[in-house]
Order: sequence, then structure tokens, then C-alpha cells
Amino acid sequence: MDVLRGEPRRRPPANTTVAAGLRAQLDDGVYDLVGADLRETPLVVRTAQLRRSDAPVSSVRATLCGVLVVHALRLLSVGHHSDDPFSDAVATWRATQSNSALAQQFDALDEDELARLTTQVRAHCATLRRSLGPIASTWHVRTSLFVSQRLAGGQVLLSDVVDLMMGTTTTPHASVALFDLTTSPLGEGAERALRFHALVQTLRTSTAPLRTAMFSSATGELWSLDVNDELLQRAVRDVLDVVAREVVTS
Amino acid sequence: MTTLVHRRYSSHVLARVIDEAPTHAPTLTDAHRKNLSARFRAVPAAAHRTIDAWTVERGGHTSSDFRWTPSAARRTIGNAAARRVLAAPTRATHDAVRDEIDELLARAATGYARPGSLASWLAECAPAVLSLVLSDATNWTTQLLEASHGLSGPFEIARADAYYDVARARTTLRGRRDLIVATESSRVLLRVRAGAPGKSAGPGLRADLTVDALADVEGHAAARIVGLWPDAGVLLCVDATMEDLRAGARDLVRAAVATRRHQLRRAA
Repeated sequence: MDVLRGEPRRRPPANTTVAAGLRAQLDDGVYDLVGADLRETPLVVRTAQLRRSDAPVSSVRATLCGVLVVHALRLLSVGHHSDDPFSDAVATWRATQSNSALAQQFDALDEDELARLTTQVRAHCATLRRSLGPIASTWHVRTSLFVSQRLAGGQVLLSDVVDLMMGTTTTPHASVALFDLTTSPLGEGAERALRFHALVQTLRTSTAPLRTAMFSSATGELWSLDVNDELLQRAVRDVLDVVAREVVTS
Repeated sequence: MTTLVHRRYSSHVLARVIDEAPTHAPTLTDAHRKNLSARFRAVPAAAHRTIDAWTVERGGHTSSDFRWTPSAARRTIGNAAARRVLAAPTRATHDAVRDEIDELLARAATGYARPGSLASWLAECAPAVLSLVLSDATNWTTQLLEASHGLSGPFEIARADAYYDVARARTTLRGRRDLIVATESSRVLLRVRAGAPGKSAGPGLRADLTVDALADVEGHAAARIVGLWPDAGVLLCVDATMEDLRAGARDLVRAAVATRRHQLRRAA
């Protein structure tokens, strides 16, 4: 957490002017790629598409593990101390997703698969708890934020989920740190995902965040990038690359 | 022609939208209320019905039986916690939400909570689910307080939604509002929503505005309603012209008709 928050006195002034330029670049780029004809459904760009290289075809167990560890993070963020993180994560997940397809797949797990999942989730939670440290209640912590941004008159939809966000856009200095949690090892795609989080957050709030980070509970590695103009420009290129790829395949 | 305006959200834009609200807002008279009541009475109701902006936006489709979930509880707890923070600005958001949950739990423990109420549900929740409620409500309170940060005029977190019982029509109208900003001659309502606005977001806001005017004892409408979707970084606003209020009332009646039609279809 100290890495993400940084030294408060060394934070740069909040950049509130960059968002309009980024949006214009994205709109122009999308129009060049998609054309002016309005699509029936928008082309959706998600974090998973940017992480394509290091996201192997995941099993149901891997998906469940990811979902449950994110719920464990939500509990940790509000200071919930648990002796059994797996049961608590399942209880909270059930409270939000009672009847989804994934819940049905969870119910269908046999004893062996369930035992493996339990062990996996406990191991990830132990790594997470050890690395995360205490989170102060004054840090404006928010979890599991679903964020979306429409581009080029609704032709493209940027859809993102930030697992944990702290700081606020109301201070004169940049203070928002974005934190993404993954249960897979970090790879080249993780950097693109980090940039994507920063870009969508900038477009949504019209204020660039301070930092964007990703933590792997599989390896205990944390990647953290300071958000600056260059990073946001690269994020724009990443998004346009995905749009170009999707246009070709569709 | 209605007055729906779409803007990208930032605290400056929100403050400007509120500062630039019309100075004059119309007033609903007894004749308007009688007219509305007659229209609702013309739509038979098998049981008492509640119509709100959500019913309007969903074209009369009512969802299945309501049950409390962390996301359903976040607005009630989050708004109450925001009031606590405004009363004691040194209090951290997260601590204010925890205080609010503790108070609801105490109410349930002392037998003051009705069955089916939020307090009763919280009392039955596992500790982990209570923590999730805390997390969800903290998200809500933080974004509401962020929205209120740049406001220049005096404001308050709404203590309750607006309710209006339509006379002899077995109908209650509900208008949601989260923040009320006092302007020189009127007030502006702010409603915070999750997700992104759909095509029917405008009619939804108009319905909230109309119910708020009906719930006012003297029928004074708020000058403007602002719908804020922080997740999408968008805000929409509707001014209280008489035309907009009429359109809002028409949408509410249409929703009652559509709900009735769906009920008959289900029964057949």
C-alpha cells in the first residue's frame, strides 16, 4: 500500500486537462477504423482483450478462484479479519450472485475439485493479506468499481473493473491509485491492462490518476506505474489496436 | 419538446449545471392533482401499487419480489453515512458507514426493527456479508461526497425519498433523490445511479421530478433534476418546465397501464 500511496508531499498536481485530448484522439481513431455507420451493438473493449498474451484459456476452477480472491480483497479492504477466507469469500459472492451460471458451476464441483479450489483460494488470500498490509479508513478506499466509457457516439464501449481504488479526485494533487488483483502471473499483457485502467479512469473522471498497479497473488509480484502523458498515449494506441483487431475479425 | 441535457461529469461541470438551473419553477395545483388522480383511477389495480422511475424505465415490467442484497442496501446506508460525515467532517467515510450499520444492528437487537426491514436483514447476515455491505455502502458514500465536493450552494443529503399517495387510486408514487441543493428561489435535486444511463434514463428523471413536485405540500417543483452516473462519467439533467412535469405524469400513468397489462398477461 505504501508503494501505491507514495509520499503525499511529492504528488504532482492533478492533471485535469488531458482527458479531452485523449477522447478526441480515441474518437478520431475509432471513426477511421469503424467508419461513420452506426453499429447495432457497440464494439466492447475489455481488460481481458488487452491481456490476451498472458491469459491462457481458463478453467472453471481458475475463474472461480479469481472471483473469490477478489471478494476476499473486498473484505480485507474494510478490515474484515477472517479465519476461513474461503468460506467468507463464498458467502459474500453468494450474497451478490445467487443464480449465475458460475454459481451453478460452483455447485456442480465434485469433492476433489472443491478441495483444490479451497486450497488455492486460501493460498492466494494468504499472499494477498501478507503483501497488502493495513488499509487506513481515511484513504477513500473503493472496491470492485465497474466503469464504462462510450466512444465515437457509442460505436465503441470501454468496459473495465477496478478491483480497488483509493484516493479522491477532489484534491488539488493527484491522489488516486488503481489496484488490480490477478491470480495469474504478471506478463506483457499486464502492462497494457494497467494502462487501460488509467485511461478509462482518466476519461471517466476527467482527472488523471496518480498511479496504476497490478498485484499477482500467484507470485506476490506488484507492478506499479506512475500515470503520465506518455502512459496515457500508449493506452490510446493499445485500445485502437484492439478495436482494429476486432473490426478485422468481425 | 423536453429539456434533457447530457454532459460529461466532473465536479466543475456538476457545480455549473446546478448554478445555471432556471430561477423559476412551476407549481402544481389542486386541478393538476385531481386530473392525475382521475387518470390513475381509470387504471384498475388488484392490489395497492407503487410506481417509481424504475417502473417507468422498465416499461411497466416489475421485477420479482424484492429482497435485500448488499447492493440494494448501499444507497440507504450510504446516504445516512454521508449525512454523518457532513455533520462531523473529521469522521472517515468508512467509519461513518460502520457507525450506521452498527446503529441498524442495535435497532434490530432491541426489537425496534420491522420484519423484512433493512435492520432485520442485517441482523441475520453473516459477518462476512456485513463486511461486504460495508464495502458497497462505502463506495456509495464516497462517490456521493465527491459529487457534493464542488457545490457552491447549501445542500443536504435527502432524508427520505419523495412519496405521493394518489387519492382513491390505490397508488403510491415514489421519487428518488439523494442530494438537495438549495438555490436562490428554488432547489435542485441530484440522483446518483449505478452503471450507465440507458435510453429511458430521461423519462426516469422526469418521473422523479414530477413525484417530488407532487410530494411538496404546496406543489412547488424543483428547478432541475440532475441524474449522475459516476461509473460512466456522465450526467443528465431535466428542467422543471410544465411540459416536462406533464410528460413525467404521463409516463407514470403509462407505466401503471403497462404494469396492469403485464399482470393480466401473466394471470391468463
